[in-house]
Amino acid sequence: MIRLTVNGKAVTVASEPDTPLLWVLRDELQLKGAKYGCGIAQCGACTVLVGGQAVRACSLPVGDIDGSVVTTIEGLKADDAVQKAWIELQTPQCGFCQPGQIMSAKALLAETPRPDDAAIDAAMAGNLCRCGTYVRIRAAIKLASGQAA
Amino acid sequence: MTIALDRRGFLAAGGAFTLSFVVTPPARAQQAATASPWTAYLTIGADGRIALMSPTTEMGQGTHTAHAAIIADEIGVPLNWVKVDTPMPSDPFRRGGSMGSGGSAGVRAWWDPLRKVGASARQSLVNAAAAKAGVPAAEVTILDGRIRRGGRVLMSLGEAAKLAAAAPPAEGTPRDPATYRYVGKQTPRVDIPAKVRGEPVFSQDFTRPGMVYACAVLSPVWTGLARQINEAPALAVKGVQKVVAFPGGAAVIASTQWAAMKGAAALEVSWASTDYDGLSSAAISAAMLAGLDKDDEALEARADGDAAAALAGAARVVEADYEVPYLAHTPMEPWNVTIEPTADGGLELWGPFQTQDRNRNTAARAAGIDPAKVKLHTLMLGGGFGRRLGDDGLTSAVLTALAVRKPVKFFWRREDEIGQGYYRPAQVARLRAGLDAAGRVVGLHVRAAGPSMQNSFSPAGLARGKLDGTSVHTLADTLYRPGAYRVDWVRVDQVVPMAPWRAVGATQNGYFMEAFLDEVARAAGKDPVALRRELLSHDPRALKVIDRAAEAGDWGKPLPAGRARGFAFVYSYGSLCAQVVEASLENGEVKVHRVTCAIDCARVVTPDGALNQMEGGIVQGLSSALFEGIEVSNGSCANRNFDGYRIMRINEAPTVIETHFIENNEVIGGIGEPGLPPATPALVNALFALTGKPIRKLPIMAQLADA
Ligand code: FES
Ligand code: FES
Repeated sequence: MIRLTVNGKAVTVASEPDTPLLWVLRDELQLKGAKYGCGIAQCGACTVLVGGQAVRACSLPVGDIDGSVVTTIEGLKADDAVQKAWIELQTPQCGFCQPGQIMSAKALLAETPRPDDAAIDAAMAGNLCRCGTYVRIRAAIKLASGQAA
Repeated sequence: MTIALDRRGFLAAGGAFTLSFVVTPPARAQQAATASPWTAYLTIGADGRIALMSPTTEMGQGTHTAHAAIIADEIGVPLNWVKVDTPMPSDPFRRGGSMGSGGSAGVRAWWDPLRKVGASARQSLVNAAAAKAGVPAAEVTILDGRIRRGGRVLMSLGEAAKLAAAAPPAEGTPRDPATYRYVGKQTPRVDIPAKVRGEPVFSQDFTRPGMVYACAVLSPVWTGLARQINEAPALAVKGVQKVVAFPGGAAVIASTQWAAMKGAAALEVSWASTDYDGLSSAAISAAMLAGLDKDDEALEARADGDAAAALAGAARVVEADYEVPYLAHTPMEPWNVTIEPTADGGLELWGPFQTQDRNRNTAARAAGIDPAKVKLHTLMLGGGFGRRLGDDGLTSAVLTALAVRKPVKFFWRREDEIGQGYYRPAQVARLRAGLDAAGRVVGLHVRAAGPSMQNSFSPAGLARGKLDGTSVHTLADTLYRPGAYRVDWVRVDQVVPMAPWRAVGATQNGYFMEAFLDEVARAAGKDPVALRRELLSHDPRALKVIDRAAEAGDWGKPLPAGRARGFAFVYSYGSLCAQVVEASLENGEVKVHRVTCAIDCARVVTPDGALNQMEGGIVQGLSSALFEGIEVSNGSCANRNFDGYRIMRINEAPTVIETHFIENNEVIGGIGEPGLPPATPALVNALFALTGKPIRKLPIMAQLADA
């Protein structure tokens, strides 16, 4: 039996150990915030935090993370600074990539509280946005970290 | 491409002012939309809250916010009182006989009709309230959602709605846009807070009780059919229930999406051979280039004066061939649809629809039922860019649902989203410009060649010998006056399916024309902006856009070593757009430092949403310039996921994008598409300025790698 803490709640996973975390979240736990975009760790739409690190949930077998703490977009607090900055700067367009973008930004800011453009680009390069919201994502991360955008 | 409906068209389409006033809030307004003309567009609840049925699909372009703002301003309520949804297809929401979104028409086409709807709702509410209070209607107004006379509140909006429901509807006159509170102002998008919390139900997230998942396994070769299917390895996967075969492939049915994907990977299919098994990008390219020489097959798209004579008599002729590949749209959400067979033999559909009627009719045809028995719900789209205008996956999905006889989510994997086609067409062009002794352009001939997108995409096809307007889009209707001017097109069809791709023909043709003009400028010893000003000297509106972009983009000002600027101007969807791109080459990678954009779309309804559309269009234009192209080999798309089909990432995106809007009293222009086309050639021109070598084939990175 695989046990996880997902958004603060202890859960026992019924899925097979080779099931990617994304599908445990979506199919079994009905958490649909993390998206399927490519299935091969190329687009970042499925990004969630495992032990505070941003991971591509589509390519991470749940059996490899037994006992881990998982945070998804649904687990962020109501007044999350990153989400507030995202709203303030009107960042999303279609919105499909944005839960993944926001979770990557969470991991970045936990590690580097005041990132510059280069640090942002390095941390966020795994998250594609076909709507092209990149300039606003950079600005929103700076705003969330208390830097003038 | 589309023309705003005038009032008369609106009346004919809408059947008078279809306002609905109900006392209780609608349980599910989407369900009600087809019931009667009374329930179209607006429903006002007892609490004064307004449900607006927007005729457009929201895919991030912000039309739902624009439409909500129009209604809020016209009636006189706070914006957050208006909730927006997309209705099921019915007459009030159709343009030209069918419901759909495209052509950057979301605001352009619905500006007048929705203002009229809002104004008539206001007038009906005012009349009802005035009658009840026994005062002249002319003295009654609505402000902040309250019905007022002088400084006094007469009643709430909900009360007035209740009264108005029992009275005949009135016709209202739209307010002066100068008095609007939300339209034209920094109005936050209505869909953003939920999107930031991950709450919207995209098609991928939608579920029905008892729903199963169906993962498609489709022929890798276009038009291919399955010869033999071995179900056993798929059925051995835990959770897999069944395999359903249909023409062109099969679906693996399972209780979870992951089990369906695992089963699909295990399924063994051998495909019958087709006539196209050997098709390659090289063969497609060779056929198009050969088409450039076929004078007798060239269909004329524009002929001003005698271009052949002008070129023959020119002191100097500049000539170049250009080429672009097929492009995938790659919306971030791979296509999927949920279908439930209903007890009455009909179907209920939930999906990412952009052409509601086309999809409804296709579903009905696949099931052999009347379209009236298909209920079609539009969910939030995870991007579109033109890919959701079609219906190509739907027939297999319907056949699967009918075989399964329960609610089923039929889905494609990313590999099919990219690999199944419906691309921006590949195309080539030969451009020949004649210069006189003074270096003035006296004639231009543009010969385009390539497959007909319209033939592939439109259900009616395109007869041979007919011009495909999208193939010469922005060439035939350019604002430039290059003296004698001829545009023609040679059709060179391929099996590869095509569809409109954001900005359609403006993407390839904008690149051809604008990159070539920089070659002409170089040959004539002219500054690229000066050459464009010459060709537009008759058009003060265009000159203003050119000058604004050049000035804001520091055109002609000194730059650090190793950097250059490129300029481009494209007129599309009624908007004039010029851009300056500042770029450099660093270790073989192109770095885009800054993009400055000026656009004249006459009127900006949601300024920040419009800005977002410019930024997104520019990123997509730069992405396609640098990286994108379908590689066709063995009759199939070879780069089917993001490891092979490269799109722009944040570390490749411009450091700065700056947009300047120009407003005036001209006809309102589009916003969703016109920002894209100039970005591609402006970047190409910056690199031409930097290296002195023209880039005549895209994507740029492939050219740099070959150089
Ligand atoms: S779905 Fe996981 S990276 Fe694309
Ligand atoms: S907002 Fe649409 S893909 Fe990023």
